[in-house]
Amino acid sequence: MSDKNRTTLLEKISSGIEGFDDLTAGGLPRGGTTLLMGGPGSGKTVLALQILVNGAIAHGTPGIFVTFEENARRVSANGEAFGWDMPELAREKVHFVDACLRADVVKSGEFDLTGLLAGIEVKAREMGAQLIVLDAIDVLLSLLDDPAAECRELHRLHEWLVRQELTGLLTTKIEDDQPATAQRYGFMPFLADCTVLLSQRLAERVVVRTIRVLKYRGSPHVLNEVPFVIGPAGVEVGSSNGVHPEPQPFTERVSSGVERLDTMLGGGLYRGTNALLTGSSGAGKSMLAGTFIEAACRRQERSLFISFDENSRDIARDLATMSIDLAPHLASGLLRMESIRSEAASSEEHFMRIKRLIAEQKPRCVAIDPLSALARVGGGLAARAVAERLIYVCRNAGITVLFTSLLEGLDPQLETTALHVSTLADSWIQISYALLAGERNRALSIIKSRGSKHSHQLRALIFSDQGVTLAEPGTSDGEAPAGTWRPGKENARQTEAPAAAVSARARPGKGKSA
Amino acid sequence: MNETPSDGDAPKGAYLFRIYHAAGAPNSVQALANLYAICRKHFPESYRIEVIDVLQEPLRALAEAIFVTPTVVKLSPAPEQQIIGNLSEEQEVLRALGLPQKENTSPP
Repeated sequence: MSDKNRTTLLEKISSGIEGFDDLTAGGLPRGGTTLLMGGPGSGKTVLALQILVNGAIAHGTPGIFVTFEENARRVSANGEAFGWDMPELAREKVHFVDACLRADVVKSGEFDLTGLLAGIEVKAREMGAQLIVLDAIDVLLSLLDDPAAECRELHRLHEWLVRQELTGLLTTKIEDDQPATAQRYGFMPFLADCTVLLSQRLAERVVVRTIRVLKYRGSPHVLNEVPFVIGPAGVEVGSSNGVHPEPQPFTERVSSGVERLDTMLGGGLYRGTNALLTGSSGAGKSMLAGTFIEAACRRQERSLFISFDENSRDIARDLATMSIDLAPHLASGLLRMESIRSEAASSEEHFMRIKRLIAEQKPRCVAIDPLSALARVGGGLAARAVAERLIYVCRNAGITVLFTSLLEGLDPQLETTALHVSTLADSWIQISYALLAGERNRALSIIKSRGSKHSHQLRALIFSDQGVTLAEPGTSDGEAPAGTWRPGKENARQTEAPAAAVSARARPGKGKSA
Repeated sequence: MNETPSDGDAPKGAYLFRIYHAAGAPNSVQALANLYAICRKHFPESYRIEVIDVLQEPLRALAEAIFVTPTVVKLSPAPEQQIIGNLSEEQEVLRALGLPQKENTSPP
């Protein structure tokens, strides 16, 4: 019996927002009242509308949206900007009630909400509405100008919702993100079954939005503050729980795009794993990332190349000089390249955007160049958490990812990345410079490669108009031959074939044209 | 002057009010009584009050954007004016109607 009571108590209405349902262990309390609190511009109205729209689209559940502050038409237009078909929804699923009082209205004495509730009651029954949003209820309550009356009207509202078996979603403004100091409406959280706080603050000039469930009567919920963004498709809440089904590990190998590198890796990267590619500025990280992506496209695999702070066209142009042509793949849609300005958003927003791009492009291979850009805004800790989640997202989707990361500092022995993500990386490839015979030459080595044997050699990395390749293994004296020094060294070794030295530069064995 | 409608600032013609109330609700009951009292006092013989019970006509109230009860709308003379509340603050009502407010609210 009591069990039965409990299940009815815990019945939820999905918000249709994955992260929000995670936070609230399933969504809004059905037949209960949820209070969304937040400062001006914290996203209350959008979130409330999105929950209503999601319910109408996903489950065909009609709902009523009452606005006390904003013009209902404006709210509806806002919804259209997020790609929701408001005119279609307004036909029978979503009914707007513009309850903004006229500016010239005069108040004389006490009043109550009987009229509004009577109207909504009939309308709700008529359209079978289950969810009622009362947006900016504080505007109406503040007109009462009497805490006792405000409390009384909220009670009336609450009682009415319970009696009508309607689910209520109320939004209210609070100041300074301090629900406790919002004395005026201090009683609201007590009335509500579920109270959610939306905040926004500046972190290094970038707005960081967070959401927190303050209480949820009769239901478990996530206690932590969780970041969220308002993206082009509405509110996206960062998932709070790290619980994901463990994906089946792949045994298939994916080419890095450089045949000799594949050999060094023991046959290529494992599908669904990630590789970290580190190196200082100008080491050629983007070029290697491009090579990886181009190889994926040649295998007819959908791909995504995300570059931070560098125009993707520039990268494509640079790659073209090495006969790595991305243009046909871009044209066919097999490849999507996106440039993102790292300082334009918080690392959390970047994460959501990348997640969205992945959802749209459905790639099998992704390059993110560089991942360290995430750390530029909002601090390293947040960025590392984001990098971690990004890796999980890709792993769960079976996507093979190549991250590049800038190595800071001059000491190559330290080999630290800005995000300290090297522990998360399945493979770690390092490009360094070797000073030899008065030349600065690129050298590549594999620092780690999980689950497979890999070469420990330091190999010269050669970019040419024929593509990318690695030089032959080092000479017998243990040095990695590179640059102009290499042919000389090789000549000395193979005196019988002096002419072969120059042609050795031209990516032997790479079957790109095949 | 409060007894003669043609006097003072009040334009010629009848005062036409519409009151949206919730029958039986304390604020609504008060508002009706107060509205009749104000009319009788300030413009006897030249007022008309249309009474709408939102509990009887809930969709009409919604369509006419009436959300709080009681709400009084002065339809004529122009301009239209909305007053919400139980009309217990007479001075506010008079100001809203464009009538001069007396320092001393008690009748002579």
